[in-house]
Amino acid sequence: MKSLKKISFLLSFFMIVSCSDKLDFNQINNYIHKPVLTSALTYFKVVPFQFFDSNGVQQFEIRDVTRFEGFENTYIRENVVKINFNAEIKNEFNRDVTIQAEFLSENDGLLYSFTPIQVQENDLNFTYLEEIDVTTNQSVLNTAKVRIIASIENTGTPMNPNDTSEFEFKSSITFFIESEL
Amino acid sequence: MRKIIFILIVLFFYKSIAQNKQVLFGFAELPQTLLLNPASETNYKFHVGVPLLSGFSTEIGSSSAVLSDLFGVDNRTVNQKVTSLLNSLSPRDFLKLNTQIEILSGGFRYDSKNYFSFGFYNEIDAIGYYPKDFLTLFNEGNDAYLNRSFSASQIIYKLDVIGVLHAGITRKINDKLTVGGRFKIYSSALNIETNNNSGTFTTTQGTNNLYTHYFNDVDINLKTSGLVDSNTEQYIENAGTFIGNTFLGGNLGIGLDVGLTYKITDQLEFSGSIIDFGFINHKKNVKNTKTKGNFIFEGVDFTFDPNNNGNYWEQIDERFKQELPTTEDNESYISWRPTKINAALKYSFGEKRSKYCYDNTYKDFYTDAIGVQLFNVFRPLSPQLALTTFYQKSISKKIHAKFTYTIDDFSYSNIGAGLSMQFGKINLYGMFDNILAYRNLATANSVSLQLGVNLIFN
Repeated sequence: MKSLKKISFLLSFFMIVSCSDKLDFNQINNYIHKPVLTSALTYFKVVPFQFFDSNGVQQFEIRDVTRFEGFENTYIRENVVKINFNAEIKNEFNRDVTIQAEFLSENDGLLYSFTPIQVQENDLNFTYLEEIDVTTNQSVLNTAKVRIIASIENTGTPMNPNDTSEFEFKSSITFFIESEL
Repeated sequence: MRKIIFILIVLFFYKSIAQNKQVLFGFAELPQTLLLNPASETNYKFHVGVPLLSGFSTEIGSSSAVLSDLFGVDNRTVNQKVTSLLNSLSPRDFLKLNTQIEILSGGFRYDSKNYFSFGFYNEIDAIGYYPKDFLTLFNEGNDAYLNRSFSASQIIYKLDVIGVLHAGITRKINDKLTVGGRFKIYSSALNIETNNNSGTFTTTQGTNNLYTHYFNDVDINLKTSGLVDSNTEQYIENAGTFIGNTFLGGNLGIGLDVGLTYKITDQLEFSGSIIDFGFINHKKNVKNTKTKGNFIFEGVDFTFDPNNNGNYWEQIDERFKQELPTTEDNESYISWRPTKINAALKYSFGEKRSKYCYDNTYKDFYTDAIGVQLFNVFRPLSPQLALTTFYQKSISKKIHAKFTYTIDDFSYSNIGAGLSMQFGKINLYGMFDNILAYRNLATANSVSLQLGVNLIFN
């Protein structure tokens, strides 16, 4: 029975002396989920020919629009704190090009527009970053469409529609999320 | 949903080294040893398990991270701790959870050679490998991980909530050899599983645009049964429905345990078993979700075509649904049980005593024994092995103790201990694995226990 006592004592000992470092489970309430999500946005490549209408008349502005449903995702909509818009532009034209990016509502109302991006002629490495603080620009979350307007400088000399020089635009959008559990 | 995902992440750190009941295996002729080896030797007329109390086992453990890594009080923020933990784990780390509760159990000796045992128990068995890529993407996003391929193949999990109705026979062939078998009917109340997934998500520097996103060779198949009611398409949330379905009301399957015990000499004994060789056919309340295909996204390519009317997004959305479709179906499927293999070699020595047996005879036994045990369970990614050495001591005819030292995937310092005591007809047993961990549960990699009360009649 001595052995039994010893074993019982050992088992009881382990149960009684079992302990734990101090743990704070409430820390989890301080956890902030902060992923940074990046996505390609819009891109295009245009040549002088596209700045002429069907009658061969020089146009100084072309525009296009797309639906954008990124903010329909409730997780992004409710937790995004900052949006970065990045662009890289190559302008082979012999005149300046101005890009205007606009965030529109479902009814084409202007919610947010960038300062016009002016790209000098023959600037082949233009980069642009627009940071949008969502807390001070809440309306941007209602964006349903993105419109890009490309305007060429009126130098007084029409472009050559057969010119093969290009204007190239690439862009991405980055969402900075901060969400509590 | 995010809370659920976070809880799952946390749970991944607290893994159970389940189902290796190394202390119980071959111990003290307990009725519960028959569930680990149907050829375990018994020497009583019959036994009855106390309903709901005869056998309870649960095991919780962690291969690398411990509670204090996440919840310890130090100078780091919880975000730093989470990131540190996620970085420290590998896709081969896993969560396993196994809990069994015997609802009913009993057995009786038919004659000098045959002992029948039967019962019903509920079991929760779960395993989930740590999907490092998915959790990194969830926790940090893709911005900092250009050119990194996030793989879907790491998403492997399986959860079973089942009831097991079983009946077995232990047959003594001769003085040396005892064999046994047990037939099981599984009734699955809930099964959620996915395995053999493939595919990657990668963001790279683009050619036409700043970035290109690739979904390559995606093939993901998430299977569930008992989770969604096929008639109402609603989640089954009534706990009573789950419990009811564990008793022949769910998806049924069959399985087999087999085992043998062979006395090589008077003092040397080999025993081995194969447990849960079987499957469940899931065909009720099945809901499977499949995603398969390839998709490349470069952004919206403006053409400045006045006729386009801004339909770019819809076109991309349509192409996404065509090239990487997600479909749901109710197709039945088969789920294999995690088969376990046990083997043990035991050498008995010490004082030779006699004990009273069911047939009014006395049987000699040695007071001490040492040996080795090998355990293996077949899991989705790889088999999981554990090697145990043990020392067994019979303090009296009615009181037995066993100490184990186990090496497995999680620990090289796992010491277990168990005690079985008989007071009249009442048998009490308790076993604790990894008892050193009780010194500080916050830094424990694993703890486990098995407890029960039986009535044993000689």
